Order: sequence, then structure tokens, then C-alpha cells
Amino acid sequence: MNPLQPFYNMKIGVVDLSASSADVIPLDKELVIKHLGGAAMNSAILEQYQGDPLIFGTGPLTGSFAPASSLMVASLVSPIFKRLCHIPFMLRTGPDMKFSGVDCLVVKGSAPEQSILHVNRGKIQILSAGNLQHLPVPEAIRELKKKSPPFQSLMMTGPAADRGVSFASVSIGPNGSLDKVGLASLIAKKNLKGIMLGGMDGLPFNSNNPYQGKELEKKISTDNNFKHRGFFSVLKKLDGGKYAGKSLKTSRKKDMACYHCPSPCMTHVTYSWHDPRDKETQDAQDGLLLLDHMGCVALAKKAGNNILPVLKTCLYYGLDPAGVAERLPEGGTLPEYFHAIDKIMSDNPPHTTGVPEAHCRFGGGVPPILAGDLWNKRVGLAMIIGVCPIFLLLFPQITDADLLAFISTSEDVLETLRDSLSSTIDSLSKV
Amino acid sequence: MAEQDFSLNLDDLRPSPAEKRHLSDYFMPPRHSFILFHPDRCTGCGACEMICSTRNVEKVAPVSASVKVVRDEKEGKNFSILCQHCRKPLCLPACPTRAIERGADGIVRIDKLFCTQCGLCTMACPAAAPIKDSGSQEIHKCDLCEGDPLCVRHCPENALTFTRGKAFRWIKGLRWTVQLISFLLLVIVLTGTFCYFRAGSVSFSCPTGTLQNIASTGTIVLFGVSSAFALLILTILSGRLFCGWVCPFGFVLDLVDKMTPKKIGWPSFLKSRMTKYGVLAGAVGGSYALGFQVFCTICPIGTVCRAYGVQSFFRSAELAIVPALASLEIAQRRSWCRYFCPVGAVLGLTALLRLIKIAIGAKKCKKFSCIQCAEVCPVGIIDADKLREGLSPKIPMTECIMCMRCVDRCPYDAAKIRFRWQKAVPGEIRT
Repeated sequence: MNPLQPFYNMKIGVVDLSASSADVIPLDKELVIKHLGGAAMNSAILEQYQGDPLIFGTGPLTGSFAPASSLMVASLVSPIFKRLCHIPFMLRTGPDMKFSGVDCLVVKGSAPEQSILHVNRGKIQILSAGNLQHLPVPEAIRELKKKSPPFQSLMMTGPAADRGVSFASVSIGPNGSLDKVGLASLIAKKNLKGIMLGGMDGLPFNSNNPYQGKELEKKISTDNNFKHRGFFSVLKKLDGGKYAGKSLKTSRKKDMACYHCPSPCMTHVTYSWHDPRDKETQDAQDGLLLLDHMGCVALAKKAGNNILPVLKTCLYYGLDPAGVAERLPEGGTLPEYFHAIDKIMSDNPPHTTGVPEAHCRFGGGVPPILAGDLWNKRVGLAMIIGVCPIFLLLFPQITDADLLAFISTSEDVLETLRDSLSSTIDSLSKV
Repeated sequence: MAEQDFSLNLDDLRPSPAEKRHLSDYFMPPRHSFILFHPDRCTGCGACEMICSTRNVEKVAPVSASVKVVRDEKEGKNFSILCQHCRKPLCLPACPTRAIERGADGIVRIDKLFCTQCGLCTMACPAAAPIKDSGSQEIHKCDLCEGDPLCVRHCPENALTFTRGKAFRWIKGLRWTVQLISFLLLVIVLTGTFCYFRAGSVSFSCPTGTLQNIASTGTIVLFGVSSAFALLILTILSGRLFCGWVCPFGFVLDLVDKMTPKKIGWPSFLKSRMTKYGVLAGAVGGSYALGFQVFCTICPIGTVCRAYGVQSFFRSAELAIVPALASLEIAQRRSWCRYFCPVGAVLGLTALLRLIKIAIGAKKCKKFSCIQCAEVCPVGIIDADKLREGLSPKIPMTECIMCMRCVDRCPYDAAKIRFRWQKAVPGEIRT
């Protein structure tokens, strides 16, 4: 018997862009039991396919009653670091992948023309996206909303990836992501613009106790991280409140959370600024969802109070803010920063692989708020089980047993799952 | 023999429910339960959609939920689409098969047996609350989970509040009646008697006026002092009941408040409740220095009693004082009473000796954290943050005007009038 049956559709989507074919095949039961899911299962699937395949996978708890069950993992051999990397995607991407009828998506080959994938109700369509090429991310999203089938979540690349810029980053909607290892470049190489997830279906999770998530919430409610939560508490752990917190002081903020997360670690900022390139218009009001802690700290160190317009420009082009920060002049002005970004877009400077080995393994964007091996283990656990890694880093008192309890109450099953989980975490950390 | 017509129409299958009218319906609002949404608290995690869908379709499928969270990515605001169980629902007459009913408990329900999924209700509802499932084509609409909404229990941010309507708020009705009678008595019938009134051995005087009189004349007349005791004794027995129930200017302020529901706010540097004690000291000091009762010339309570009576209508320039001070109500509810009224200051000091208090037992209301008591308090002395933390707020009785709106509004009987030596709720630790 497969104890993970209620947690998966047990379907895997295989897209061959070269042949313009998309099939949905059954997910191997043995593979699920052995690797549980997420990054570990992605690694196993990756070995089965040739020619730079891309794997988007979910964990057993993705979309379930577990707190912060928002994770989808993209696995690839990074074109920058030349090694296997797993990038976490949060917001609603993971649950929407499952609610679209597949647990995992394999993308191989390269499309003859710019394409975009639409996944819904267990079916995958390859749609033409020639009209989106070189369009900035917000405009491309507007186009898609007008002309494509309905979708709940969207991952796409911007004009930076279209031009082959090494700092390109995949964006979840218009909000950017934690991709700092070249996923966008690989997607663009495949002539793929992005993936739309319909999310129009559902999954009958094992719902013996839907209040289990609330009970876990109670367990962490006394924690300091729970009381002083939010985007800025994570930033404070990263830079001691020296840079990003100060730079974002004047903007209006609102905490935002990913799917089913009790501890929001994102924030929406509203700010007013004046575009120096447009002398006729007045100050403009703008809004931005901040989810990339590492990118914000890196930009704040260079751009100071101009962080938000610069970040907005990075997201507009689909650029990684941390990579861009390396190329910005120290203590410059806003026009100088814009000029530097334009130069990155036109000159395509080589990527400086400044991300530490351990961090680049998990996309380079998961904040290092715990030390060494503990960070590895926590992120590894999150990337397999399908829970947000930042949430697990913030609350180390949530154990793997707490999370596995969402899958089954049977001691025998739990023992098997525990063994399987610890071995997969070890193997993931070693790769 | 004439052919008999056996055709059935909708009235035979599903007769229109007769409108039940009771005597109380003419003056009491019908029972009205609904879920309140607090956009400032919502982080957009979608826990409400998730749990609601499990009840609707027995699987986690946010698109099949009866509640929808709409996320405005530019403004960073979240909105919920949720049935408000209107008193006169528009979906009800729109339904061609009479599948929608409003029960005696005030809950508007769809009878699935009669629903033909035509979707007319979705178009008729101004809030677009009935939601058509894109998969099963069923219409989903909130039925408040028959009185214990799951979304309210699951929301990690308490952004949803279940409000059980009360049939009739008797305190509200009684207070408005007493206020109206007091106003008519003091302003029309007994014009000018609030400041000083004497009939034989019975006398009454305003305590603030008496203090100013002593300061201006330098003599203490025992009879005059004793006449001020009436109001002070009432305050010792029942707190500042005069301010909430009797004060004619308070009645004017309450009327202005009804006309100006939107408040522009009061500058924070002026928000000191100690100001009124300063005004009192200034009034007494000024009277001593100038030799006449300085504040009495502009006292809004005195002027409303003197200048607006039948005998003295349009008599003096005092007419302008009441509208001028009542216009402060545009900034904040009962601004005058909160920050400036020296009569309130004298009564506030006397209230230190009061025998009763208002107590709010957070244990009774923590589950819902509705904070309606804090929202209705006209002088803003109930600490909503304490309630959200599950702690009973301490009500400063020197500021409380004993209007009892909190007692009246609390749907859980958590707000009570107690003797000052009694605990808020037995067994509860008050902070």
C-alpha cells in the first residue's frame, strides 16, 4: 500500500518541447515511497531523462493541511554552477501544480518557437508565446491574462532571459523568485517562456484532523520568531538591520503570506518615487511584493534608499536583484543605477559565482539564518516534504515527526517514512 | 365533461415562503449573522478557501470554496468575497426555482435539490458571493457552516470574525430614549437649569461651575458646594453615567457622529487625555485671575442649555459655540469629551471613587477576537491589541462614559458591569 496515495495525483507530466508533445503518465509508486517527493524525487527523475531536462516537482505535504505547505521545487543542472541545483518556489505555485492534476512536470528538449505551457485538470498544452518575447514581465502577464486560458499561478522569464543575460531570474507572477542559479537561462534556452498552472481541481488529502495545522501553530506561537515575524525580522537576521530595514523605512508595508502559512515572511510595500528618465510626470505611487530577502539585502547595501525603484526595474526585466547589485556603482544616484541595469541588459557581463556552494544547491535565495549543517538539514527536509524552507528555518522546533504526522497516524507507516526521510535528506545534502 | 387541468407549476412544487410578521419586526431589526472581514489583518494565505473547500467538495480545492480571497498585487490589499447574508438578499428573488431561502436564523442557504445551476444568483448578488464551481458547475455559497464557520476558526490572522446578530439591543434603545428626554428637559423645558437650579431647599449646580465660582469670588458658600454633590454622588455610584446618558451636548455629539461616520483623524500630538485636566486648571485659574467664571461663557453644555431653549431661541452669540465644538466630531468620536471637557475632568477625578466598573473577559471572546467592543467604544479606551492577544483589557473608568455600548454589542456576553472589587470573569487573571 502506498501511504502517500492521498497526497499525490500519482501523475507526472512529460513535455518534449522538440517533438511538441505533452503526455501525462502514472507516477511510479516505488519512486514515491523511496524518495517521498520534492527535491529527492526530482533528482531521481532527472537521472531518467537526457538532454538538460528540467523537473518541477511537489512534496507530499504540498497543498495539504500542514502549515506553509506552498512549496514546489525546480531541479536542474545549473548552467552557471554546472551542478545539480534545487530552487524553491513558494506563493501558491506548489498547491496549484497539484490542483492542476500533476505532481511533477518534466520539460525536455527545445521548442522550435517561443512557447508557454498551460497545465490544468491533468492536461498539458503547449501554446505559442511568440508575442511575449522581449516583453517586460508585467506586460507579458497582462497579455497572458487577456489571451490565454485561465490560470491561478504563473512562472515566467522576462526580457533578460530572452536576451540570454546570465543574471536572468524566473519570476512568479510579477514578484520575482529565489532563482539565483540560472533556471531562467535554461528555460530560455529551451525556447520556453514559462508555465501557467490552472489549479482548477483539488486533491482529497488525508483529512482525519484538519485542525492539526492549528495545533502546530499553537506549538510555535510562543516563539519569538512568531511574535516578531514578517519580512523585516528575516532581514534583521541577515544584515542586523543595518541596510535593508533602514532603506525601506519610509514605505508603507503589509505582511503577506504564501499558501496556508501562519507566519508571513513577505511584505508588500507601497512607495512614491520619481522616474529621473521621465521629467514631465510627477511622483508616482508604486507597489511591490518583497519575497527575496537575499536580493533585498544585496541591493540595499548598494542602492540604499533607492532600493525599491531599482528592485522594481530588476523585476520588470526579470533580473536577479542580488546579481544586479554586484554590478551597481557604490553610492550612486538613481539614473546611474538605471544606466548600470541597462548596461547589464545590453552587454551581458559574465556571472560572478559568488553564492556559497551549500546555498547554490538550494537556489541561492534561501536566507542563511541558521548555521551550517543545521541549515542544510532544515532546508533539505523542507525541499523533500513540500513545506516552505524559510518557515522551517524560522521555527526549528518543528520536527520531521511533526510534519510526517500529517501523512499518517500509523506507527509502522511513520517509522518507514522516518527512515526514508532521513536517508533522502542525507543524500540530498551530499550531492 | 370539461377536461381537468392537472399541470403543476412552481408554486405547487415549491411554494413561496409566507413572510412571517411579528409585532417586534416593526421596531426590532431581524437577527443577522454574518462573517466580518478585516482586510488589514489578511495576509492572503488562503487558509479560509482551503478549509471551506473541504466542506463543500470533500477535498482541498480552493476554486470550489464559498469564500474567495482576491489579492490586489499592485496595491498590496486583499479582499474577500463572502456572502453577507443580507437582510433582503437579492439572490433570493433572482432564483427562478426558489432554491435560495433565508432561514429563521438569518442564514441564506441554497437548497441543492432545487438548484439548477443557472447562475442567476451569482449575477444578482452585488458582492458576487454565490460562486460557480468551474469544474462541477455547482453553485457554492457560504451557509456559515450552520453557525460555526470553519474559515473563522482556521484563519491564522483572525481576519475573519463571526458575528452573531442580536435581535434587539435594548441598552441602545434605552440610552437614546434617556438622552432624548434629558435633552428636551434640559434644553427646552428647564432651560438653563443645568448650570444652577434651586427650588426651595432642593438645589443643583454644575461642579465645574461651582469650582470656578469659588475661585472667582474667593468665598465658599456651603449651600452652593453641596448643590454640586448631586452629580458627584451619581458619578461615585455609577461612573460617568452623566456623560454617556444625560449630557445634552453629548447627545448632540452622538447625533453628529451618526451624520459623519467617516472620521478624518486627530493629530497624534493633540491626543492627550490629560488636556482636559489642563483645561479645568486653566478655567479655575482664569476665573481666579479675572474675577468671573471664564469657562462658563463658552461651556458647550451650558450654552446648549441656555441658548437653544424656546424662551431664548436666537438670543445670543452663544449659538455658534455648539456647532463649532460639535464639528470636532468629524475628527474623532467624542473628541470634546476625550480631550477637552473640564466637566468630564471633574467627573473623571470623582470616578476614581466609583463603585462599579466595566469588565471585558477575553477568555469568553478570544476564540473569535471580534473586538466589536473596541470598535463601538466612543471614547476609544478598549485596547483591541490586548483582546487579540487573548488578554482582558483594563478599562480606565476615569475615561469611560458608561454608555455601555460594549456591553450591548458584545455577542458573547463577555463585557459586563461589575462592582469594582469583583474579578472580570471568575478565574481570569486580569492584566
